[in-house]
Amino acid sequence: MALFKSKKDVLSADLASQIGESEGMGVRLRRMARKNKLAVASAVFLVLLVLAAVFVPVLSPYDAVNGDASTRLQAPSAAHWLGTDEMGRDVLTRLLYGARISLAVGVVPTMISMIIGVALGVIAGYAGGKTDYIIMRLADVMLAFPSLLLAMVIMYTLGDGVMNIFLALALVGWASVARVARSETISLKETEYVQAAKSIGVKPGRIIRRHILPNCLPALIVLFTLNIPSAILSESSLSFLGVGIKLPNSSWGLMVNMGRQFLYNAPWISLAPSAAIMLVVLSCNFLGDGLRDALDPHLNNE
Amino acid sequence: MSTLKSVIRRILSSIPVLIGVVLVIYLILRILPGNAILTMMGEHAREEVVQQISAELGLDKPWYVQFWVYITGLFTGDMGTSIKYHKPVSELIAAYFPVTIKLSVLAALVAWVIGILCGVISAMRKDRLADRLGMGFSLLGISVPVFMTAMVLQYLLAYKLKWFPIQGTKEGLICYVLPAVALGWSSAGSVARLTRSTLLEVMQSDYIDTARAKGRSVSGAVVFHALRNAMIPVITVMAIQISSLLSGAVITETIFSLPGIGRLCIDAISGRDVPLLQGSVIFATALVIAGNLVADCLYSVLDPRIRKEG
Amino acid sequence: MRKHLAFVLALAMIMSLAAVPAYAAEEEKVLNLASESDILTMDVALTTDDYFIPHNVFDRLFEIKVQEDGSTEIVPSLVADYSVSDDGLTYTFQLVEGVTFSNGNPLTASDVKYTFEHLLTVPGACNYDIAQEVVGAQALLDGEAEELEGIAVEDDYNFTLTLEAANAGYLAELTSPAMSIIDQETVESVEGFGMEPADTIGSGPYVVSEWVPNDHFTLTRNENYWGEAPDADVVIMNVVPDANTQNLMFQSGELDIIDLDALDASIIDSVYKTTYADSIVPGYRVGVTFMSMNENNEFLSDVNVRKAVQMAIDRQSLLDNFYGGDGIIQNGMIATGVWGHNEDLEPIVYDPEGAKALLAEAGYEEGEISFEFSLDSSSGDTTSMVYQQIAQDLAAVGINVDIESYDESAWLDFRRTEEMPAFLGTWTMDYNDPANILGTFFSNSTSGRSLNYANQEIKDRVDAASSIMDDDERMAEYQAIEHAIVVEDAAVVPLYERAHLFCIGEKVESFVPHWAGFSNFFVRDVEMK
Repeated sequence: MALFKSKKDVLSADLASQIGESEGMGVRLRRMARKNKLAVASAVFLVLLVLAAVFVPVLSPYDAVNGDASTRLQAPSAAHWLGTDEMGRDVLTRLLYGARISLAVGVVPTMISMIIGVALGVIAGYAGGKTDYIIMRLADVMLAFPSLLLAMVIMYTLGDGVMNIFLALALVGWASVARVARSETISLKETEYVQAAKSIGVKPGRIIRRHILPNCLPALIVLFTLNIPSAILSESSLSFLGVGIKLPNSSWGLMVNMGRQFLYNAPWISLAPSAAIMLVVLSCNFLGDGLRDALDPHLNNE
Repeated sequence: MSTLKSVIRRILSSIPVLIGVVLVIYLILRILPGNAILTMMGEHAREEVVQQISAELGLDKPWYVQFWVYITGLFTGDMGTSIKYHKPVSELIAAYFPVTIKLSVLAALVAWVIGILCGVISAMRKDRLADRLGMGFSLLGISVPVFMTAMVLQYLLAYKLKWFPIQGTKEGLICYVLPAVALGWSSAGSVARLTRSTLLEVMQSDYIDTARAKGRSVSGAVVFHALRNAMIPVITVMAIQISSLLSGAVITETIFSLPGIGRLCIDAISGRDVPLLQGSVIFATALVIAGNLVADCLYSVLDPRIRKEG
Repeated sequence: MRKHLAFVLALAMIMSLAAVPAYAAEEEKVLNLASESDILTMDVALTTDDYFIPHNVFDRLFEIKVQEDGSTEIVPSLVADYSVSDDGLTYTFQLVEGVTFSNGNPLTASDVKYTFEHLLTVPGACNYDIAQEVVGAQALLDGEAEELEGIAVEDDYNFTLTLEAANAGYLAELTSPAMSIIDQETVESVEGFGMEPADTIGSGPYVVSEWVPNDHFTLTRNENYWGEAPDADVVIMNVVPDANTQNLMFQSGELDIIDLDALDASIIDSVYKTTYADSIVPGYRVGVTFMSMNENNEFLSDVNVRKAVQMAIDRQSLLDNFYGGDGIIQNGMIATGVWGHNEDLEPIVYDPEGAKALLAEAGYEEGEISFEFSLDSSSGDTTSMVYQQIAQDLAAVGINVDIESYDESAWLDFRRTEEMPAFLGTWTMDYNDPANILGTFFSNSTSGRSLNYANQEIKDRVDAASSIMDDDERMAEYQAIEHAIVVEDAAVVPLYERAHLFCIGEKVESFVPHWAGFSNFFVRDVEMK
């Protein structure tokens, strides 16, 4: 079940020694910024989107929740740049309000799953033996589930709501993080400086904090950027299947879902949030690739 | 001999995983609110009847009693009886899973073809326009929600151009083409990236130089030598994709009205049909485990380095 | 790689072969239909939803016939002659002779008796309300009797039926799909009747020839049918969960009749009312959509709040904006088309200012009142839009409602606890008598509806009304009850009776929808070209 295990162990040991000694992260990031225009553009786009989502109450004259049902399904115009939706609400305004939830759904569960995954992965990798076996079998179990099915089952158990989505996606996502964190830890454990620290009696907690976590960081940052889009896509799939955000709130997934029956007569309702999902996912991927090239040159095989 | 041993070892090691899967899903479902009986009998059902039927199905017993009955049943292939359909769950799964298998295999094929084509083109035209387009196309597949692709394909190719049936399975394999393309495209990206990077690595290695020295063109060399080596990691990535293909199948089966495992799961969830949901999720997960197992074994057979270590 | 390529090519070739339409030569009249979900059983004793098979494969003692002017009439079907005793308790029936089931067995009085017993005793029975009214039904339910005492079979074609209490609407109840007559010999000889097409033996115009779960089922003409043969030879019911997909199928000719219920009004407007304007067949729904208000709720227990809610909702704009205006605003629970409908009931006027004033007078501050408005997520996108619009209307008068959505079974389960504060419901009549809706929601035997209607006097009157044998007197009593419930007690907000639109394709000459607007219509009412 442990695919790539051996290969990654080799790579990571190499990587660790490199990062341990060579130039810092800042230098690498700056170099990437000069080389990889696409990653920079992606980062700019994401920042602008966040700003727009934060300031939408100031930017837009329209209400996100209350619309005028007599002006429903209007095509894009000067007044409504992206048209109106099935309740007569301004699509652009709703898109930006929806960005708050969709971006949060991308970031928060990913963050939670990173924390759980890194904690368990590092413990497994460092402790080894039975602890390792139990944690990693648990991770195997979680990874074996088709993720959408598991998230669906959890959502149905918990009911709709943003918090429950966070929880469901975090529960589904931690296992893959744990695998990466574990293999990084194992290879770092064998490095000379960790061995040296161990031999002079430094406590495990300190070794993990001082030597292991900081050196796992580049790989984890890359993983983080790449896991965000999959969380956003999962939320949209859940919304499509009718579980997720509560009405009349909006997320992009919910907007696409409500708009899909109008795909043929008012396509803007579902196409606008679809395009937004696509752009954010692409941006995160480009940014993630850029970061990987900059921080973690040996990982770009996968 | 050592290959056989490692294969057996891998099969054995997947057994605790499967048991864990059963336990996890069982525990999650115990917290599930809602009453399957009500959904089964609909809006007009009356209270006394609901209670009488709950007792008949043993749903009023404590969870651990029900779990014991379930686990012991599982060993004999008995996955319980669907509350909604009044049929053994195993029978329902047997009737529905061929559709999902056909869909997933075709989708994997599509992912493979698109992914490898894009990967090869990108690798051979590295850093040129074709590279960007190839990678862009495969990345787009990851980025567009599967249901959007599915609905657009359905509208354009089935409804407007009438090349394919709109839905259902009545017309045979052709019914699976659009769902498989929608599903496969979303998995093509990772295959394409992997193919590209592996190819780039292989192309820089010695035996391409040798091939070049033998007078073959570079592109010929790529196809005949590099690609074969590049296949090994691609196979394993496809195995990992089984899980996401099954996830996506839930959506495509709904849009194209295909009676597969995904639909069964949705049916089971909306009907609170716990035995059916349990059975179909466990079955889908077992498929993923089996797929990974096969890939693992293939990997260890194809790549002697792993075999030595394993 | 070359091998793989060869495989792909081979596959492509197989697929292009498969692309040739499989059904080239067809002389039969095939009617293609679609349904959002598959049936679960073909035995009507086990379902209160899946009525397509009962309607088309089985017969009942009586049927409802739609008149030219749209009104309905109860007509004998399997019954040749009947009489009712003066006390309204005993019914004497004579069956039509020579009726056979599709397997050739004659349909006799003992099959009728067996049908009642099956409804009451089959494991999982849930559709026995009507059979339960017969003398001895309770003993059978409790397992204290072997057979149903209240039905006395005299010979093959004559029997009497005795009720526990007089019920003037009983003949109407016998038209309900639940009362489909089954073949005793077949049902006794199979295990789990209603699961296999071969065992599903009725006396109706069609037989079930195939059932591929979650894909389609097929009906073919019953060659032994005793009545007038229906026009369509073969009926294929496709299971198509996605309404959009149904829409595309109809437009490309793959469906011959589409039920427009699941489509948004804008699509009906832009596609159907333009391109297919002449093919739209409007049907009655004969049922009212209403908003419930649970009288156990902190705020909704106050009749002033309930009246304010009634006044705050712009029902006409809901109907116009979300249902394209296809329907009739209802001011009571006995909908247009139901026997006893009151045209002169006081209208509920949309008056947000009046609602605000009423709340202020009753001592509520703005925003003080809030309750949950529970949505069944399986009820469709348009319903959820109506929920949002109602929430918006109520917010405008200072009432906050929180829309919470549940999947179907969680929703039903919650409602059963009697705790659900408010929801939207649509009750389509099972049989055409006010007793059906008033008895279900406002009688002493009402349970699990989360209404908690508190007016004991009215509840008693609902129970007593069904034994009034004079029809005019009974209808007057029902109208008085309705007035008390909706106007005086403001127990619910009646919204509208939606039209049920269908659209017929080129192969269909004419179609008469079910009298109560069931999606499970009678195929015999379809005439093909």
